[in-house]
Amino acid sequence: MKKGLRWKIILTLVIAAGAIVISYPVTKKINLGLDLKGGMHLMMQVLTDDAVTMETDQEILRLQELFKKNSIAFSTMTKEAPGRFIIQGTAPDQEGKIKDQLDQYLRDWEYTFMGTSASVSLKTAALIALKEQAVDQSVETIRNRVDQFGVAEPLIQRYGHERIIVELPGVDNPERIQDIIKTAAILEWKLVKAGPAPDEATLLKDFGGKVPDDMELVKGDPKRRAEGFYLVNKVAAVTGKDLRMVRRGTDEWNQPAVAFQLKPDGARRFEQVTGENIGKPLAIILDGKVQSAPNINTRISDSGIIQGHFTVEAADDLVLVLRAGALPAGIKTLENRTIGPSLGADSVKAGLLSFLVAVISVMTFMIIYYKFSGVNAIIALILNVVIMFGALAYFRATLTLPGIAGIILGIGMAVDANVLVFERMREELALGKSILNSISLGFSRAFSAIFDSNLTTIISAVFLFQFGTGPIKGYAVTLIISLVANLFTAVFVSHWIFDATHSKKTQKLSI
Amino acid sequence: MPLVLFKTPNIKFMKYKYYALGLTLLIVLAGFINMVFGKGLKPGVDFGGGTLIRIMYKNPISVTDIRQQLRDIGLGNSTIQETEKARREFQIRTMQVVKGADTQQELEAHQKLADSAISALKGTDGAAELARGLKDLNNIDTRGLTSLLMESFAADAPTVTDEILNLRKNKGIFTDFAELAEANIKPEIKGQVITFLKDKTFLGKLTVISKETVGPQAGADLRKKATLATVWALLGMLVYIAFRFKLEYGVAAIITLTQDVLITLAIYSFTSREINLPIIAALLTIVGYSINDTIVIFDRVRENQRALRKEKLENIMDKSVNQCLGRTIITTGTVFLTLLALFIFGGKVINDFAFCMLIGSIEGVYSTVFMSCPVVLIWTKIFPKTKGFRK
Repeated sequence: MKKGLRWKIILTLVIAAGAIVISYPVTKKINLGLDLKGGMHLMMQVLTDDAVTMETDQEILRLQELFKKNSIAFSTMTKEAPGRFIIQGTAPDQEGKIKDQLDQYLRDWEYTFMGTSASVSLKTAALIALKEQAVDQSVETIRNRVDQFGVAEPLIQRYGHERIIVELPGVDNPERIQDIIKTAAILEWKLVKAGPAPDEATLLKDFGGKVPDDMELVKGDPKRRAEGFYLVNKVAAVTGKDLRMVRRGTDEWNQPAVAFQLKPDGARRFEQVTGENIGKPLAIILDGKVQSAPNINTRISDSGIIQGHFTVEAADDLVLVLRAGALPAGIKTLENRTIGPSLGADSVKAGLLSFLVAVISVMTFMIIYYKFSGVNAIIALILNVVIMFGALAYFRATLTLPGIAGIILGIGMAVDANVLVFERMREELALGKSILNSISLGFSRAFSAIFDSNLTTIISAVFLFQFGTGPIKGYAVTLIISLVANLFTAVFVSHWIFDATHSKKTQKLSI
Repeated sequence: MPLVLFKTPNIKFMKYKYYALGLTLLIVLAGFINMVFGKGLKPGVDFGGGTLIRIMYKNPISVTDIRQQLRDIGLGNSTIQETEKARREFQIRTMQVVKGADTQQELEAHQKLADSAISALKGTDGAAELARGLKDLNNIDTRGLTSLLMESFAADAPTVTDEILNLRKNKGIFTDFAELAEANIKPEIKGQVITFLKDKTFLGKLTVISKETVGPQAGADLRKKATLATVWALLGMLVYIAFRFKLEYGVAAIITLTQDVLITLAIYSFTSREINLPIIAALLTIVGYSINDTIVIFDRVRENQRALRKEKLENIMDKSVNQCLGRTIITTGTVFLTLLALFIFGGKVINDFAFCMLIGSIEGVYSTVFMSCPVVLIWTKIFPKTKGFRK
């Protein structure tokens, strides 16, 4: 055996064995994309302004109390936009006092005074931080919910500044899980002042047609068979934050309901409110919609149930979202791709069949046209595919439909590399060169073309990977792997196979 | 003797450079006119926004019926296509909704549209059964079926569920309870399971196989990203080729590739197929093959120029193209075989993709032979300063 040849063979075998070990069994080690496996892909936008609005509302309430406590006069405090509000009717001689309060308690806010009014707005840095936090918190909450629902290998990640991508393979009830993800899950108990009424006018008849300052208007949730409009207290008796424990239970008619227990602090407030309002209705409001408004029969302290004509599933889902916590802001869907498992299976079957037909016909052609050298090319091709799968498994890359396109291009270029070499050998033979000389010249002369064309395509694929989105990235990954493998198999492996099978005694080059 | 399909011919390709340029312009212009004034390129859901729903019916139904049901809710302009399983499986594409005044409303408008389309197609089917507490076996999920089967089959429920849903996955939809007999359930309980399901479930008339909704914002975003990625990839190739060969070769390669994309798109625009992300991957693949072909020829030119220093560039190029012709045709032939297999056996999802690549692979040969070298020639006529190749 020629010097160096042994090491070339060993290196090749080690790489091939490694790739096989890493990717065995293929069905377990190679991740199929959602387009091939079936599942759900969601791109969602976090409405970060919601979080800012909520913060603004809270600060207005806080400041109003502070002003009352310190006897600072003002007529109104109104929100102008998320992150900005105006205090009107202030006394000019109290300006210093107001500034002290703002400096002390609203450190993230800046203000300007104009006579008897002041404009207060959130500082840019704080605004950005608040929005970022809202997105991070949303990701965390969604992850909690998905985990509790039980989905195998979910992918939940931030995408850009305000977006979240959720990928759930194999989900067979997309509507339900989407509801679970998107529910804000803000739960409040509020005293009912009037209602339910069929329309707003009837509801507000006793209030002069206007919603009083300390109350608000809420609608019933048709899903919970709570129709109509309610007028409730603006301030909640207790909220979802006061919950210590929730589970699915049943009401007195043995219908599914959600049983809850409150933390000690919430229980104290709940006891006080229920004790003072026996006989009056208390609305249970989820995301701004009344679930039910039962009358308070007795004083309740730390535990109770939420009724609302729930189905078992709906009760389970509410328990799930309450346990996982509320979203800090609303969420809207920008993109929703749900691929059913049967379509995915069909695509895989069809893809596999066409792949086999293609590979077999190409191999047959190579053997007929290049005879023994064609076999050599086929070995290189198979090795290329093996390395491809090994690398996919190693990098935990996902195989998608565009990814298969990348493999097809890669295989095409692998065949081409062999064709280039073989055609060159034929030319050299035709010029009367010896067999060994032709082999060596075939490889060395074809090398620059193979190298340049593969590298150019790799360069473009790297850019596609860098700047492309999901499917284009998938394409770029398989293409890069395939081309790198190609440089190894078509140039290095194929060469030593020729060297190993031909010597000075070889009479004829089968090509 | 080796088997030879093509003897190295001696065709004066460079003579035809202006005719080739004319032909290219003609096709691109026809495509351009079609895109601007005619049917043009149809953006798919990925880029145009909207919803693509694939549904499967239990019983055959006509496209006219479906269109009527959609027209009733104002979606009469949707495109409806039959897919493989005639009159049972359909692909429906609802068009972009009118832009909402408020982006927040617009965000989910498509989603709602898709839901209303599905519920319109379902109509009142199953309402009576659902009210009686029956479950739809064609749409029930794993959890639902498991808990239903728990009532009577306790420990066997999970495996029976898996088998039934597996069967449904293969069939797409159950048309009759008798089909349940094919499920791989223990013979002792199989009869009981079927009787139980006949009693507790019904077969809904349709099932949604897939649903893809892309909002206008996300669509615009995808469009921007795909364009940006392509531009950068082309620039990267230009720089590398200019570095390895000469600037004019880089420029010629980029012009060739641009032509590949334009001609493929022009031809594609005359079919009723849509442009989606996989089509972009196909275009990139065409570009990949074409650059490969082009570089092989440039490489030969580079080599021949070193050997034949006195020869005119035009003759060297003719010789190089001719020398590589056998290889170009063999390689393209094998690629064409692969694509043909994909086109025929690949199924509906891959079909558009394979079609696009088939056009591209033929066009790629044309552009390699008639565009890449001629552009270099024209360039050297306009900017006549010839230096040797970089090593």
